[in-house]
Amino acid sequence: MRRSHRRLASRLAAAVTLALGAAACGGGGSGAGPDGTVTLTVDTFSTFGYEELFKRYEASHPGVRIKHRNVVQLDEYLPRLEQWIAAGSGAGDVVALEEGILSKFLAKPDRFVNLLDHGAASLKDGFLDWKWKQALSQDGRYLVGLGTDIGGLAMCYRTDLFAKAGLPTDREKVGGLWPTWDAYIATGRRYADKVKDSRFVDGSVNLYNTILAQQASQTAGHTFFDPSGRLVAGANPAVRGAWDTTVRIQQNGLSAGLKSFEPSWGSGFKKASFATVACPSWMLGVIKENAGAEASGKWDVAPIPGGAGSRGGSFLAVPRQSRHAAEAAALVRFLTSAESQIVAFRARNNLPSSPRALDDPAVLSFRNGYFNDAPVGEIYAKGAKAIRPLYLGPDNNPVQQRFEDALLALEQSRLSPDAAWRKALADAEREAR
Amino acid sequence: MSVPADVRVRPRTARPSGPPGPRPRGSALTRLDVRLSPYLFVSPYFLLFLVFGLFPMGYTLWVALHDWELLGDQRFVGLENFRLVLTDPQFWNAVLNTLGMFVIATVPQLLFALVLANALDRRMRGRLVARLGVLAPMVTSIAAVAIVFGQLFSRDFGFVNWVLGWFGVDRLDWAAGRWSSWLAISAMVDWRWTGYNALIYLAAMQSIPRDLYEAAAIDGASRARRFWTITLPMLRPTIVFTAIVSTIGGFQLFTEPLLFGNGDMAGGSLRQFQTVTMYMFENAFRRFDYGYASAVSWMLFMLILVGSLLNFLWLRRVGGTR
Amino acid sequence: MTLPRTPGRPRRRRSGAVAAVWGAGPLTRITLVATVVLSLFPLYWMFVVATRTNDAVGSVPPPLTPGGELGRNLARLFGNEQARFTLGLANSAVAATTVTVSTLLFATLAGFAFAKLRFRGRGALLLVMLATMMVPVQMGVIPLYMLMAEIGWTGKLQAVIVPFLVTGFGVFMMRQYTTQAVPDELIEAARIDGCSTFRIYWSVVLPVLRPAMAVLGLFTFMQTWNEFIWPLAVLNPDNPTVQYSLNLLNGAYYTDYSLMFTGTLVATLPLLAVFLLFGRQIISGIMDGALKA
Repeated sequence: MRRSHRRLASRLAAAVTLALGAAACGGGGSGAGPDGTVTLTVDTFSTFGYEELFKRYEASHPGVRIKHRNVVQLDEYLPRLEQWIAAGSGAGDVVALEEGILSKFLAKPDRFVNLLDHGAASLKDGFLDWKWKQALSQDGRYLVGLGTDIGGLAMCYRTDLFAKAGLPTDREKVGGLWPTWDAYIATGRRYADKVKDSRFVDGSVNLYNTILAQQASQTAGHTFFDPSGRLVAGANPAVRGAWDTTVRIQQNGLSAGLKSFEPSWGSGFKKASFATVACPSWMLGVIKENAGAEASGKWDVAPIPGGAGSRGGSFLAVPRQSRHAAEAAALVRFLTSAESQIVAFRARNNLPSSPRALDDPAVLSFRNGYFNDAPVGEIYAKGAKAIRPLYLGPDNNPVQQRFEDALLALEQSRLSPDAAWRKALADAEREAR
Repeated sequence: MSVPADVRVRPRTARPSGPPGPRPRGSALTRLDVRLSPYLFVSPYFLLFLVFGLFPMGYTLWVALHDWELLGDQRFVGLENFRLVLTDPQFWNAVLNTLGMFVIATVPQLLFALVLANALDRRMRGRLVARLGVLAPMVTSIAAVAIVFGQLFSRDFGFVNWVLGWFGVDRLDWAAGRWSSWLAISAMVDWRWTGYNALIYLAAMQSIPRDLYEAAAIDGASRARRFWTITLPMLRPTIVFTAIVSTIGGFQLFTEPLLFGNGDMAGGSLRQFQTVTMYMFENAFRRFDYGYASAVSWMLFMLILVGSLLNFLWLRRVGGTR
Repeated sequence: MTLPRTPGRPRRRRSGAVAAVWGAGPLTRITLVATVVLSLFPLYWMFVVATRTNDAVGSVPPPLTPGGELGRNLARLFGNEQARFTLGLANSAVAATTVTVSTLLFATLAGFAFAKLRFRGRGALLLVMLATMMVPVQMGVIPLYMLMAEIGWTGKLQAVIVPFLVTGFGVFMMRQYTTQAVPDELIEAARIDGCSTFRIYWSVVLPVLRPAMAVLGLFTFMQTWNEFIWPLAVLNPDNPTVQYSLNLLNGAYYTDYSLMFTGTLVATLPLLAVFLLFGRQIISGIMDGALKA
């Protein structure tokens, strides 16, 4: 039924094309040039830190040219990627998959090249065990992607604001202030007593997402959905626990009420509107970009309250629609190798998912000048192997957005905590329908 | 608001106004030319409309009758999607928002456009500059307007809150509240379109015979009275027309609220400024539920038809009591 | 209302009564000045921020005069690899020009046929066309997107051109204007001279339609240039239109207002220039009844 309609559509359109002699203009597709060089298009979001690696790869592979397309916002990148994958055209030869979208694509693995067919089987030991398994089908026969980074957790804070509040500024001592989230709240109250023109933490949205990832990976191993894909947001204690902690922080008047990745949040960095922000490793680059050169040396990195966890992290995959699957798979192998992960870490602090890279002195000894010369390699890499896997369901992103909305409405004093919780659960049901 | 479409509901003349009388008797070629040329001339429009207008519309209806997920399979479900839409609180919330913003954006806009047109109709120096000035916002893209207005209305560092601060008003979180977000979005819409509507009124005003006013003035009718008894009745068809165009545009409001919320399809934490079109897009390009989104888009079409009709009838009645 | 009318009203002696009727009182002047200021202020504010560093936004009181950073902001804008502004501008120029030329051609052709030629089914076709103008634009986006994906046009510039080569609005507007502005005798005379229908259109009708074409041309160009949703749905970040570039910039540098406002300025300036250049013709075109139904 559907077939015939599609054919009709193509014919009509083809007729129009012919009739109007439409010009063929440059598109996103990749192809082999006249001289036999292959152009590989790579789609990423946010910052992967690959600029240097692309140059190296082109230099060592004269027959390959790389075209890099980056979309900064994940919320904009994901729907676009889904469209490309579903439509069977438009996607690059190599695409970045954020962990939140992975289970959705794993349900349709045939949209991607099985990397096991391209010699990936031998690479298993090059990745943390759970990271490898995340992109592997249940029966172990289909590997959709290879891991790039993981989202090890820390807490970033502004030393100048801490000094103003009479709090210690040394990162060891700051970490000692808050072994637990309760202690973090107590510190926040001390801060709020002294400093009136800024808040202790940026906002509920970033905080909740971080605490949830941390608590869930330490307990059930899943968040809103259980591994069978069932919505369990109301029953999972980690979801409620993270919610309660966030609400307590907010009810204590510690939050600046800003939603992460919005203009006002970015301005907040510039104007020093808040003193701490939970920072997965990939967040360091975001903070630097937003806070700008004027804030250089003012931010520092301390351990996160509540222990190890991972939020975010990505994979590289080759869509089935690629016309250069073999070349693309080779590029993926290169970009996810331990050596490349080290380069990306040093460029953008994306924490490696390769155990060998995590042990490498080049990572462990790395300090970040912008963050007051903090030993970010040590801070993030040390806890990385203790991280336990976290399963995210197919509709993880929309459900997470509904929780963010509810927290935001609470923060805007539009809903009571109870009403916000009920709304989050009801809207989650709607998204999972 | 993307189409400044000048739509008349009824064609003014349904009869050909072509020249009567004998046609020159020419060769077969000439007869062919006379017979075929009209069809050739109108065919590009109809061909394009067929492929890019009618076909998508029909196809949308077809999709609406299915459970049609982007990455999934398609299953015929009859009117199920429409049943779900009609009982979906999020849909009705979007309808309420759309109607609300339509009213608070359009009514003041058209009223002020009338006043403005009346002012632009006066004799004075710099009239062309004034006419160009009020039309200038229209050439600014919605994306640019949204970026600029988004900054003007921002909570912490916005221009508007700064000005309100003079009067002792606390910083407003414009996007957080229903009314405040509606007001900010309406301001964007009105900024772009008031001048355009004013010029349409102005053009219509200029075809009102000037003597009518001068005679009325000599009879001692005040300026307000002249506006009320001469201008308004004469402008009635034009007002109906702009009201209907605004209805079509207002019901499709999309880009302003989308960008006002920084690209958030849900339109705020409580969906306080999500319009029907945004809801349609959320279902199509966020939830990838094409079947449901198509049903929403047909409901939108129905709403526009009903809205335009009501508008037409209401304005005709208001005019008729005079 | 469809009678041809001479522009401007007949001159008469400025008697006191007439001046009282048509003169502008102080209230009128204040209204006008305030409206023009409000209309232009956001554009001016755009310019001010684009000529300053990012600190301008958020400082109290906000600066109201231009600074000296425009050159540097422009360099940053065009040097930005994410937004591809140069390509965006070029793409928009190609798309808007193509759509404008084709709309003018097809709309005047069809408008002329509907207004002045006899043919079977004319009334019915005209009604169909009017009905099509009631269909909301967004309604077609989903199936149109599916269609584009099917024929492999996603990401390609023709996807934002071909569906818009002529609009019902354009045809209708030209039909109305042709009806009132082109005397039947002119066409009849040309026929007797043995002109073909196309020749009549080209040499007799088109020259008369110029004022309306100026208005339709500007509107079409403006609309294509400013189109936001459809390019965003169907194009890719590596082949954007200017509005898409603006969106990319917005997504990536949402805290860098001076860069974003420079982007909006560059995206708006070409239109403003066209508008100022043809402003007089456009206003007189509108006053001449180009937009009247």
